[in-house]
Amino acid sequence: MSGDSVWWRVAWRNLWRHRARTLITASGLAFGYLAAVLMIGLTDGMAAELVENGTRLLVGQVQVHADDYLPERNMYRTIGGQDGTDVQGLLDQVEANEDVSNAAARLYGGGLLSSGDETRAGLLLGVDPDRELLVSTLLDGLVEGRLPETGAWELIVGSEMAEQLEVNVGDEVVVVAPAADGSMGNDLFTLVGIFRTGTPGIDANYAMLPLNDLQYLMAMDVTRVHEIVMTVERPWDTQGIAAVLAAELEGSDPAVRVRPWMELRPELFEYVSLFDAANLIIVAIIFVMAVFGVANTMLIGTFERRREFAVVRALGTTPGGVGRTVVYEGIILGTLALMAGALITTPILVWFHNAPPDLSALTSGFSFGGSQWRPILRVEYSWQGPIASAVALFLTSIFAAMYPAWKATRIPPADALADR
Amino acid sequence: MKGVHALSAGLFLLFAVGPAAVEAQTAREILDEVDRLMRGESSRGVVSMEITTEHWARKLDMEVWSLGTEYSLVRVQSPPREAGMATLKADQEVWNYLPRVDRTIKVPPSLMMGSWMGSHFTNDDLVKESRIVDDYEFEIAFEGERDGEDIWEFLLIPKPEAPVVWGRVEYEVRKRDKMPTSVRYYDEDGDLARSMEFSGFVTLGGRLVPARMDVIPADKPEERTTLIYHELDFDIGLDESFFSLRNLRARR
Amino acid sequence: MRILILIRLSARSVGRNLRRSVLTAAAMVVGLALLILSRALADGTHEQWIDSAVALGVGHVAIQAPGYLETRKLEDRLDAPAAERAVEAVDALFEPALLRAWVPRLSVGGLASSASSALPVQILGVDPALEPSFSALQDRLEEGRYLEPGDRLQAFVGVELARRLELEVGSRFVLTAQTATGDVQGQLVRVVGIFRTAIPEMDEGLIHIPIETAQGWLEAPGAVTGVAMMLETSEATDLAITRLEAALGGDDGLDVLGWEETSPELADAIRIDDVGDYIFHTILFAIVALAILNSVMMAVLGRRREFGILQAMGLTGPETGFVVFFEGLFVTAASGFFGVILGYAVTWGFFGDGLDFSALMDSDMSFSGTIIDPVIYPTFSIDQILVSVYSIVIIGTLASIYPALRATRFDVAEAMKFDR
Repeated sequence: MSGDSVWWRVAWRNLWRHRARTLITASGLAFGYLAAVLMIGLTDGMAAELVENGTRLLVGQVQVHADDYLPERNMYRTIGGQDGTDVQGLLDQVEANEDVSNAAARLYGGGLLSSGDETRAGLLLGVDPDRELLVSTLLDGLVEGRLPETGAWELIVGSEMAEQLEVNVGDEVVVVAPAADGSMGNDLFTLVGIFRTGTPGIDANYAMLPLNDLQYLMAMDVTRVHEIVMTVERPWDTQGIAAVLAAELEGSDPAVRVRPWMELRPELFEYVSLFDAANLIIVAIIFVMAVFGVANTMLIGTFERRREFAVVRALGTTPGGVGRTVVYEGIILGTLALMAGALITTPILVWFHNAPPDLSALTSGFSFGGSQWRPILRVEYSWQGPIASAVALFLTSIFAAMYPAWKATRIPPADALADR
Repeated sequence: MKGVHALSAGLFLLFAVGPAAVEAQTAREILDEVDRLMRGESSRGVVSMEITTEHWARKLDMEVWSLGTEYSLVRVQSPPREAGMATLKADQEVWNYLPRVDRTIKVPPSLMMGSWMGSHFTNDDLVKESRIVDDYEFEIAFEGERDGEDIWEFLLIPKPEAPVVWGRVEYEVRKRDKMPTSVRYYDEDGDLARSMEFSGFVTLGGRLVPARMDVIPADKPEERTTLIYHELDFDIGLDESFFSLRNLRARR
Repeated sequence: MRILILIRLSARSVGRNLRRSVLTAAAMVVGLALLILSRALADGTHEQWIDSAVALGVGHVAIQAPGYLETRKLEDRLDAPAAERAVEAVDALFEPALLRAWVPRLSVGGLASSASSALPVQILGVDPALEPSFSALQDRLEEGRYLEPGDRLQAFVGVELARRLELEVGSRFVLTAQTATGDVQGQLVRVVGIFRTAIPEMDEGLIHIPIETAQGWLEAPGAVTGVAMMLETSEATDLAITRLEAALGGDDGLDVLGWEETSPELADAIRIDDVGDYIFHTILFAIVALAILNSVMMAVLGRRREFGILQAMGLTGPETGFVVFFEGLFVTAASGFFGVILGYAVTWGFFGDGLDFSALMDSDMSFSGTIIDPVIYPTFSIDQILVSVYSIVIIGTLASIYPALRATRFDVAEAMKFDR
């Protein structure tokens, strides 16, 4: 006998002779794999949605400021100080980094907004409407009106601010803000839009207007901005991306500080980390069930084969031979089943990733933390998930079969055949 | 500005009354009377204000009217960019007029954290009614010569529950003409928070007053706000009706 | 008569093939246990979430003046007689398993000024005796102490406020706000303690002072802007609302609001989470069902000889089927029973003391437990457990049909021939 290859051939033939048994075990393996990988993809997807929705509202994923700007947010500490900086150049430099998706510049001012008898303190955010649209989703959330146009003295405010000021789209709003030369900048603006994020802190305090208009109001040159905000390709990797960006900007003329969103919104980071931790448990549970299901099936199957093993041993097969047969069966079965599983799973993952099914029929969409939360099944790829699942299930099928096989070979064949 | 004005005028009147050592008790009675007088007194002045900060320096010329401690109207005359800007305080309400956009905005008291017109005065200084008698206890801390001048130094300690942020206020007054020379505001830890210096003593509107006042924040000694009174008249026959929104919007 | 014999036959068969029965049952038992565990954790997480969030707000249920929810102005307060009625109504909830804590509150927006600077703040007049059992703010104490009964001019402030106003424990500062009569009034207070929540809005903008002081200062003796209540469980919210409305006898001047109204963002967040939950449980359920079916089918493969013997003994086709079916039922019933026990045991055993999620998080992140307490306590709900049990029982029963059907149609002689 040529050693090993016999057992492989026997294993192969055994599998095909007991088609029902093979099929049942294989399906358990394949679907267990599907469930585990899908679950991991979905939970990764949910975490990614969470991060993106949370960061893309306003804070973005990376922010660049003058060294001494945070935390006081002193109005004078624009990037490059009083001399300002080449804003477009800085934006270009930042966007040249392949991990950065979009960048925009912002200017912050504090002042009063007034309409009729009502006056409220507000945070004035000067933005470039076109660039800002690519970076933050706040401008997507207009419940009324449209975005302001540069040079037209237009602005938009949050829904709660609008209520408190008792203004509607089309009304005039007086804006008063301390300017950089010490005077009181003031001007008349037209309210052209109202946004609602669902976050009272934003809806009651923020007013957005074109960057150049705010610069003019605050007697600041167009070279002066407080913040460059950007989105990145992989939000969860932001810390790494920010470090690379910081190194790239190191030693450049205006000294700047680069911060990832984890530093800017530690409470969001905490929340997402918690969510991630909870997902570990969820995935673990699915995993356990999948593994258990396969193990259980294999155990039953192999125990039922006692008689078969007894016959084979009565014909002269060594216990080792029986053992190897079982192991090889497991290997072949595992490989084929997992390949089938991957064949089923991969298209589904790709499909969900590119066109996430919308569950709106089951539960309506709603807005939370600023953006429209779509109840979609979003899926993110990773290598660890599929590999870990495959390995775990593969090993399970082998070991689960080995134990009963080993037990079976310890009984003398005659006894087994006599059902004792 | 109001608060300081009242404080200085009050103490001035105090010393116009009597000589030598002043007991705390008598001081209170006198200030009470002063307070009552102040409530009826009207005044008009022309002031220039120079502000120097870390980032810029500016000069504003203003016309100021007041009636007691409850009414005041300040109108900016120059520079042209801000000419016509005015602030009206009537009773508990504060209004700002912005000529550039020809609009009046009402400022709720809780929004008055900023400096007034960019100076080192706060809106609070402008608005707050002086209640020296209610809020402070007085004593003479020092009497004698300092820098070649014979002075009294009054120590004002806030009463236990008075809603004032200062830990103590030191008031220095010249003995010879009872003119205040400086006021220093300390926080409770004893650190100087801001100081005011009086100088340029002249007779305006029939009274000897310090025409120049400098406000210096202690944490930024290179910054200051300087007020110089060019004209000042008292008892000009104003009544409450003068302090109206219409007058707020008037260009002169 | 025959039926009873058949039933005993089933029972004995189960007992004789214990290993097979146990293995078949195992899939159901483990599946049920995992379903119970995951439901308990999910419900526990939601409960924790709601608890933490409402503790920062106005609790599970609040009594306010109509309109206060929108305006949040002092003028929409409950004056002394209404406030008293509200407090009396709380009595209706005084059952140990219902009400956990309640507090009266007087809230107003104003200015905090010190010798150095001034900041806008939200001032909360609280009852020092009752507040600690309601809100967790005093747990975030960094220096000094929280308010105590008997305090008058003491204020509890956040680290950011203390830093910007240059305050320490014992420092004086002044609160300014518009009183109930429209006057602007100052109030001296001294810092008695400093807290850190790591939430900027709170660390910079929230101050606690004794409610009586606030009432005196704002010229609103005995008034409150709301009475807030924390319940033992959020599920009791509707019950509490009903009881309170009954106690208030339809008084127009008092609104009773549940947390879903006072914190709509939280309600939305829970709903989002529900979507994730739904997906997870669907997948888990599918795997469990598959595991059960696989076990049963695998077991059937080895029982042909057994079915043949039964028929050879004289049972008719249908009777054989009946015996096999009943075996399945026994196993299913026992599984249901043991599954619930195992589910409870595992959940309590591992997580009875609460599952500390922070242990699962990235270790270089220091967790400040700001928004959410990371410890999750599993929550058992009878409804959920029953749903899980029913599902398993139904699957088990349906799964038993398959072998029963196979048992009925049989060629006895053929079956006895080979053990295949």
